[in-house]
Amino acid sequence: MKPARHPLTILLSLGLTFVGCVFEDEGVTRVTISGSAVGAEADILRRQLEAFQEEHPDVRVEIRPTPDAADQRHQLYVQWLVARSPDPDILQLDVIWTAEFAAAGWILPLSSFDPPTDAFFDATIRANLWQDALYAVPWFVDVGMLYWRSDLLDSPPSSYGALLETARTRSERIPHGFVWQGARYEGLVVTFLEHLRAFGGRVLEPDGRVRVDSEEAVRALTFMRDAIYAHGAVPEAALTWQEEQTRLDFQSGRALFMRNWPYAYPLMQDSSASEVAGRFDVAPLPAGPGAEGASALGGAQLAVNAHSDEPAAAWRVVAFLTGPEQMLERARGAGQYPARRDLYDRPELADALPVDPERARSIIEAAVPRPVTPVYTQLSSILQIALHRVLTRQREPAPALREAADEMRALLERVELRPGASAERSDDAVPRASESDAARADAPAAIADPPAATTDAPAATTDPPAATTDAPAPTTDPPAPTAPVSPSPAAPGGGGRMGV
Amino acid sequence: MSDGGGTASRSAKLRRRERRTAWAMVLPAVGVVALVALFPLAWTAWESMHLHDLRMPWRGRPFVGLANYVELFSDSRFREAVGHTAFFVAVTVPLELGLGLVLALGLDQIRRGRGLARVLVLLPWAVPTAVAALVWRFMFEGEGGVANQLLLGVGLLGDPLVWFADSVMAWVPVLLADVWKMTPFVTLLLLAGLQNIPQALYEAARMDGAGGWQRFREITLPLLRPALLVTLLFRTLDALRVFDLVYVLTGGGPGTATEPLSLFAFDALLQGLRFGYGSAISMTVFLIAFLFALAYVRFLGHADLMERG
Repeated sequence: MKPARHPLTILLSLGLTFVGCVFEDEGVTRVTISGSAVGAEADILRRQLEAFQEEHPDVRVEIRPTPDAADQRHQLYVQWLVARSPDPDILQLDVIWTAEFAAAGWILPLSSFDPPTDAFFDATIRANLWQDALYAVPWFVDVGMLYWRSDLLDSPPSSYGALLETARTRSERIPHGFVWQGARYEGLVVTFLEHLRAFGGRVLEPDGRVRVDSEEAVRALTFMRDAIYAHGAVPEAALTWQEEQTRLDFQSGRALFMRNWPYAYPLMQDSSASEVAGRFDVAPLPAGPGAEGASALGGAQLAVNAHSDEPAAAWRVVAFLTGPEQMLERARGAGQYPARRDLYDRPELADALPVDPERARSIIEAAVPRPVTPVYTQLSSILQIALHRVLTRQREPAPALREAADEMRALLERVELRPGASAERSDDAVPRASESDAARADAPAAIADPPAATTDAPAATTDPPAATTDAPAPTTDPPAPTAPVSPSPAAPGGGGRMGV
Repeated sequence: MSDGGGTASRSAKLRRRERRTAWAMVLPAVGVVALVALFPLAWTAWESMHLHDLRMPWRGRPFVGLANYVELFSDSRFREAVGHTAFFVAVTVPLELGLGLVLALGLDQIRRGRGLARVLVLLPWAVPTAVAALVWRFMFEGEGGVANQLLLGVGLLGDPLVWFADSVMAWVPVLLADVWKMTPFVTLLLLAGLQNIPQALYEAARMDGAGGWQRFREITLPLLRPALLVTLLFRTLDALRVFDLVYVLTGGGPGTATEPLSLFAFDALLQGLRFGYGSAISMTVFLIAFLFALAYVRFLGHADLMERG
């Protein structure tokens, strides 16, 4: 064999030379981050990454822009991660994705990096735990708030009943009483969860049982429906609205109350675009007949790609971006609420946020995380359809919720890896599953236990950060996989959902 | 005798060689069809017999036989989607065929400015479906939408209607948009059919004293039959697989009140990431469309297609 050089080799070495020219230093590590790449958020991110690179000249960080719409970003991430792309190294995750990505083995457990979990709000940490290990670091927090017209009312309503009464007896000049996100998408689930919590109900019990067909849930959904048709407090058009439509409605002075995230506040204070600048205020969501008001917990987290070539460098970027000073800068520039609890004592935050930090902290501390499960998106999708059917008067609340609950139970049962199920697995199982079969066989329970962040989260730490190709080994002693106590008698697929 | 036998064997050999050549000549075409049509189809069919869920990689990709189909047929959302698809086909296809026929007959009569008239009629068809759907959405959205303003103006509505939050009224923009969009296509195909009818037949009929209606029934319709059949086939198959229009206009909502089969499949595949189950839905859509095509060709079009061939 003569030492013929393959054209590809030449090309490759040329490419390497080129890369070497661009990055003159030999020891430079390249890390990529993906997430929101528009507006004020992007400017802040760029600025902070520059600051990071000044401090760490050995690391270069690049931004991979991704779509801003959550569903589209999720689809893109899944495409990348299923293909085991090492790029991007750092992923901005929605709070409801962490469990899914962790259970799939797409992101690294971070416990070995010793993240300062105590500094963050408890709920934000719990939302990012899977099998007792932390898989993403909270970046900023989103909570639902009640926006109300301070020029027309003396004080915000303290209960949904009072809100309904005020909205019903509003002046003719205000066409809408209360607006919320009612289109068939994740936002509708959030609106419902917040009503549900105030009525004393929940979607899932802490032990993972589906409770969305409870008496409280039926009452909460009936309240939402009647607010539209019986009382004319909520416009029917809200059933096609997402966040922005509700904001435009409220900021053009057409609504008395609005449920929305904090992002709307600075935008509506801009008097060149908003007719209600200086004429509205925010309050915690009202209480209901069953409980104090509580908002759903939203927000963004940063996670490290399980196939990243540079997990250690990626972690340094994550740690920097989720640091206290960076969070304060974010609050100032984009109005996003820090996920670190102690920052709410800092006077700088009081200047940055429209809301009194003490009040913001109490709202966040009372916020309800959405169920932490790898199949959250499917659960949500089942619920979205049921809720939308009821609110558009195609179904009655009780049977619709009962069917949705049955469907959810069937789904959760399908997710669960029952003992012996691995025997059924065929040879062409995806390689990842067979690589770490033993470790995973009894691992993913359908639901993470939301309360009690147990003190021992050991197993994940055995994974050295450099072992990028290995599946993030789940705990060897699973924390009590939670079988639904009242399993649907039907086969997977939910033939039982017809039991009306 | 021996002479005759030699001829026979020679002609048999010739025929065999001809057959071989024929096969060799169609082979590339068969290969291309196999590659672009049969292979993906077979792949989807195979996939539909697996449990393959990207959200649950720990479950692997086991072979489950027909389990996905069993689940599918017990899924009420699937049954509803079949109903919606059937409804959509049953309303839009006859409307488009009827309107398209009227337009084609009219265009056939025009003597001056024919080209311009045809371009104008064809315009809606040239607009990309997603763009057209978005425009229709704007027209029906909100209290100030064109549709609401129009109906309020003529007094047909007392209050503005929230079209997309009403499980019945949400169909109106969907059906209207499809008829608006696809009628030009029907017109084009039928117009081509009309122009294949020899004028001499009409002249002869006129001489024999046939009236306009008689000429239409006895000459135009029978001779237009092949074109009508092809159009019917195209439109039915297209309508059975309707996706983009509904996706942009209603997203299948409210609830799933306007969700056709293809959107249901998309939801399972790309939102739910259930590849096995989604493939089973796709196969079902394919089978339904295939059966329709078969039925049309068998019961309606066989004789005509043969004649033409």
